[in-house]
Amino acid sequence: MELLKIIPYIFIVAPLAALIVNNAVPREKIREHTIFMSGIVSVLQLAAALLGFILLAATGLDKVSFGLLWDASLPNAAYFRVNLISLFLLMCIGMVSLVSVLTALKTIDDHRCSYTNLLMTLLLGMNGMLLVSDLFSLYIFLEITGISCFVLIAMYKSTKGLEGAFKYLTMSVLATIMILSGLAMLFMKTGSLAYADLNADVLAGKDDSRTWLCWGAIVLLISGFAIKTGAAPFQSWLPDAHQSADTAISILLSGIVIKIAGIYGFIVLMKLFGELYALRLTLAIIGLVTIAFGALLALVQTHFKRIAAYSSVSQMGYILLGLSTGSPLGLIGALLHVFSHATFKTTLFSNAAALHEQLGTLDINDMGGLQKQMPVTSFSSITSFLSAAGIPPFAGFWSKLVILIALWQANEIGFAAAALGLSILTAAYFLRLQKKVFFGPVNPRWNGIKEIAGSIRFSEIALSAVSIGAGVCFPLILLYLQSIGLI
Amino acid sequence: MFSSVCKFLGNPAPLFLLLCALPVLAGFIAWLFRSKRHGALQMATVLVFGAANLFLALSLYAGGGASGSLSFLGEEFDLSMIVSGVSALMLLLTAFVFLGVSAASCAWFRTREQGGLFLLYLFISLGMVNGALISDHLGVLLFFWEGLLGTLSGFMLLKNREKPATALKALAVSATADLLLMLGIVTTVHVAGTSYMSEIHLLSTEGLGGVGLVLMLLGAMGKLGAYPFHSWIPDAADDAPTPFLAAFPGSLQKILGAYLSIRVVNGLYAVTPGSGMRLFILIMGGITLLCGSFMALAQKDIKRMLAYHTVGVSGLILMSIGSGYAAGLVGGIFLLISHVIAQSGLFIAAGAIEDRTGSTELAKISGLSKLMPVTAVCFIVLSLCSVGLPGLAGFPAGMLALGAAKSGGIVFYLIGLLGIFLATVAFFKMIRSAFFGPLHLPKGHLSVSEARSGMLVPAALSVLACIFFGVYSAFPVDRLIQPSLGLFEELSGYTLTITLFVLPLLMLALALVDHILGAKKGGAPQATAHMEGLPVLKQCYALAQGGKLDPYNWMMAAFSGFADACQWIENGVSWFYDKGIPGFVTGIATALHRYWNGSISRYLIIALAGVAGILVIFLAVML
Repeated sequence: MELLKIIPYIFIVAPLAALIVNNAVPREKIREHTIFMSGIVSVLQLAAALLGFILLAATGLDKVSFGLLWDASLPNAAYFRVNLISLFLLMCIGMVSLVSVLTALKTIDDHRCSYTNLLMTLLLGMNGMLLVSDLFSLYIFLEITGISCFVLIAMYKSTKGLEGAFKYLTMSVLATIMILSGLAMLFMKTGSLAYADLNADVLAGKDDSRTWLCWGAIVLLISGFAIKTGAAPFQSWLPDAHQSADTAISILLSGIVIKIAGIYGFIVLMKLFGELYALRLTLAIIGLVTIAFGALLALVQTHFKRIAAYSSVSQMGYILLGLSTGSPLGLIGALLHVFSHATFKTTLFSNAAALHEQLGTLDINDMGGLQKQMPVTSFSSITSFLSAAGIPPFAGFWSKLVILIALWQANEIGFAAAALGLSILTAAYFLRLQKKVFFGPVNPRWNGIKEIAGSIRFSEIALSAVSIGAGVCFPLILLYLQSIGLI
Repeated sequence: MFSSVCKFLGNPAPLFLLLCALPVLAGFIAWLFRSKRHGALQMATVLVFGAANLFLALSLYAGGGASGSLSFLGEEFDLSMIVSGVSALMLLLTAFVFLGVSAASCAWFRTREQGGLFLLYLFISLGMVNGALISDHLGVLLFFWEGLLGTLSGFMLLKNREKPATALKALAVSATADLLLMLGIVTTVHVAGTSYMSEIHLLSTEGLGGVGLVLMLLGAMGKLGAYPFHSWIPDAADDAPTPFLAAFPGSLQKILGAYLSIRVVNGLYAVTPGSGMRLFILIMGGITLLCGSFMALAQKDIKRMLAYHTVGVSGLILMSIGSGYAAGLVGGIFLLISHVIAQSGLFIAAGAIEDRTGSTELAKISGLSKLMPVTAVCFIVLSLCSVGLPGLAGFPAGMLALGAAKSGGIVFYLIGLLGIFLATVAFFKMIRSAFFGPLHLPKGHLSVSEARSGMLVPAALSVLACIFFGVYSAFPVDRLIQPSLGLFEELSGYTLTITLFVLPLLMLALALVDHILGAKKGGAPQATAHMEGLPVLKQCYALAQGGKLDPYNWMMAAFSGFADACQWIENGVSWFYDKGIPGFVTGIATALHRYWNGSISRYLIIALAGVAGILVIFLAVML
C-alpha cells in the first residue's frame, strides 16, 4: 500500500527530473547520454505502471488519489488520481516511448537533447491527462501534449516536416477552440468540470433552458477529440504529420499520442455521459466511417509510413466502436486494442525505420523481395500484419474479438457485422504492403542490402515477441482481468 | 425328378446359392483354367455348369416354381424370392441360351487373350440375371440389376483399356437408365407402400403412379436396348468381343428388359388398353423399331447390322407387350424367345465368321458358303427366322406381335410391316454379299475352314429350336407362355388373316424384289444403295453418320453446355472477386485519395462538415 502511494509520483517526477537534468547539464556533456536518460525514464514508467496496476488490482481499490504540493483530501481540492485504466494506458505510454527511444538511438543524430526535452514534456502532458480528475486540467495537459508534438514534427525544419506540423497545428487549433468552447458551455450549465460533478442527469437537469447548450457542448467535445484522434472525417492532418516526422517520432504519434489525446478523451466522455444514446450512436458511426476511410485510403498509398498512418486511423475506428457500446466489456476491448495496436503499429514503424535506414527510401513501389535480405524486419512486419488483420492467435485477434462480442452484446449487430466485413480491407492493404515490400521480384537496386542491426532490430524482435506472447497468453490475461473484477 | 429338385429349391438358401452363387463359382473355376493348355477343361467347366443351370431352371419350371425368403439382420431385411410364371419361363430361356453362348464364348477365346476374365464376367452376369429374375423385393432386384452394370463395364473394357470411349458410353447410357429405374422403384414403393412385387397389384397410373410406371419402363427399356438407350450397342459391335454381343444385347439384357416390362404392365400397374401410358409404350416401341430397322439397312458390317437389327426387334417386342392385350403379351414373350434364340445364334455365326476370316465387313468378305457351308446355312436360316419366314419361330411370334400392334393402332401395325420389309432387305444384302458370289477374303487369308464346333453346335441348336418352335408353334404359345401368364385363350386361329398372314408375306416378297432390283447396279453389297439415297433418308443417314441423331451425344452436348454455363458463371464469380470488388474498392479509395489533396483549407471545411454531421446525428436522436 505504501508502494502504491509512491508509484503515482513517478509519472510526474521522473520526466520532470529528466527535463531539468537535461537542461541543467551543459549540452556537450549530456549529449551522449541524453537518449539513455529518456530510455531510463521510459523503462521506469513502464515498470511503475505495470507494478502499480498489479498492486492496485490486488488491493481492490477503485483509485489512488494524490496531490503534488497540496493535500488532495481537502474538500473541493483538485487532485490527481490513478486508476486501473490510467495505469494501463501509462504502461502503454512507457512501452511506446521505450521503442521510440530505441529507434531514436539509430535515427536521431542531431537534436538529441531537443528530442529528450520534447519527449519528456510529451510524457508529462500525456501522463498528466491520465492523472487529472477534471475536464479543464485534462484540456491543459492536452495542450502540452499537442505543443510537444508540433515541435517534434517540425524539429528538423524540413519543408515536409514544417508542412506536416503546420497542418497538425491548424487542425489542433480547431480542436482547441472546440474543446474550450465545449467546456465553457458545459461549465455554464453545471458550474463545475470535475469528473465527480458531471453525469448525464446533470445535463438533463431541471432547468430546461440550457439543455441545448449541453448538447452543443458535447458535440463540440466529440469533434475536438475526434480531430485529436484522427477519426474520420477529421483524419486529414494525421498522415501528413505522421509521414513527415522522423520515424522515432512517428512511433510516438501513431503508437500512443492519438490514443491519449483523442481516445482517452472519448473514454472520459463515455464515462461521464455514456448514458446518452446520441453520444454512443455518434461514436459508433464515427468509428465505422473511420474504419472504412482509413482502410480505403491506406489501400492506395505508396509511402510505407503513410500506409501505417492510415492504418492507425482505421484501427482507431475499432477502438471507438468498442467504446460506443458503453459496456465494461466494450471499454476493456477498446483498451486491449489500444495495447495491441500500440504493439503492432510500433512494430510497423520500427520496420519503417529499419527500411529507411537501410534503403534510404520508403516508397513501396521501389521495394520488393526484401524478405531474403531483411528476414527479421520481414518476419516482424508479418506478425504486425497478422495481428492487425485479426488473425489468431495474435494480440489483435483477441482485442478485436472482445470488441465484436461487446457490440454483439450491446445488440449493435449491424455495426459488428460491418466492422467484421471491413476487416477484410485491413487484410487487403496489409497484404499489398507486404507483397510490395517483402515478396515478389527482387529489385536489383537492393542486392547488397543487409538486415538492420542494433536497437531497432532488438525492438522489432521484442515487439513481435510481445505481439505473439500476448496473443498466446491472452486467455490468461482475460482470466486475470476477470479475477480482478474488470469484466 | 424335376418336382423333387424343385421342392429342394423351395428352401430359400439353396435357391439363392444355386442360382446366384453357383454361377459365380463357375466363373472363378473357368477363370482358373484360363491358360491355353486348359482349354478343354475350361470348356468342360462351362458346359457342366451351364447344363447344371439349365437343369435347375428346368426343374423350377416343370416343378411349378418355388419361393422362399432369407432373413438378414433379424426381420429388418428380407431376401424374398419367388419363382413362378413368367420368371420361371425367363429363367429357363436364360439358361438355354446361356449354355450355347457360354460354349461359343469359350470356343471364341480359344485363340484369344482374356478368355478367363470374359467367362468370369459372363458367369457373374448369369448369377445377376438369375438373381434379378427370382427376387421379389424391388430393392434386391435393383441390386442385381445394377450388378449387371458392373460386369457390362468389365466386358467393355476388356479390349479397350486404353481408349474406353465406348465403355464410357455404354456405362453412361446404362447408368442413366438404371438411375431412372431406381427413381421409378422409389416412386412405386412410395405409391404401393410395400417393396415386395408379390404384394403390389395393379397400382393406379394417375398422378405419382404414372410417374413411377414411366420411370420403371424407361429403366426396363435401358436393358432392352430400346430408344433412346440403344446407341451404345452398335458401338459395342466394333469395340467389344463378339461373344459379348450374343450374351448381352443379344440375350441376357433383352430377357431382363422384357421381363421387367411385362411385370410392370402386367401386374404392378393397371394399364388399360388405349390409355396414355399404352400410347407412350407403343410410341417408344415404334420409334425404336424404325430407328433400328433404318439404321440396320445402311450397315456395311454384319455385326453392326445385327446390333441395329436387335434394337429394332426390341421395339416390336415393346410394342407387343405394351399393346395391353393378352395376345400382345403372349406375342411379346414369343417374339422375345424366338428373337433371343435366333439373335444369339446369329451373333455366334457372325463371331464364327470373324473368328476365321478376321473380319465381318462386307467389303472384305464374300462367297463364304463354299468354305463355311454349315455356318452359312445356320446364318441364313436364323436370318429368315428373324424376318418371319413361315415355318420358323419368327413367323408365328411376329404375327402375334403384329396383331397386338394393330390393336394398338393401325399406325403401329404399318410401322411393324415396314420393319419387316426393312429387316428383310438388310438381311438379303448381308446373306448374298457374305455367302454368295465369288470368293473374297481379307488380306492374309488364302483359305478358311469351317467354324469351330464350339460355335457351330450352339448355332445349329438355335436353328433347330427355331424350326421346332416354328413348326409346332402351338407348343410355345399354349404350353409354355400362356400357362406362365395364367392365360388359356385360343390363339391359334389368330394367325390366318390377311393383315397378319398375307401382308407380312407380301413384305418378304417385296423385299426380295427390291433386293434383286437394287443389286442389279452395284452387286449385292450395294443392294440397299437406292434406298439409302432416298431424299429424306439420305439426310437422316448423313446426320446419323455424324452422330447427330445419337441421344448419347445430345446428352453429352447438354452436359457440355451445362459445363460451359457453369464455367461462365464461375468466370463471372471469379471476375466479381478478382476484378469487380477490388476495382470498386480501389475506385472509391482513389477518389477519396484525390479528394484529400493536402489543401489545409479543404481539411478545415471537411472538419466543419464533420461537426455539422455530428450535430445532425444529435438532433436526429434528441428530437
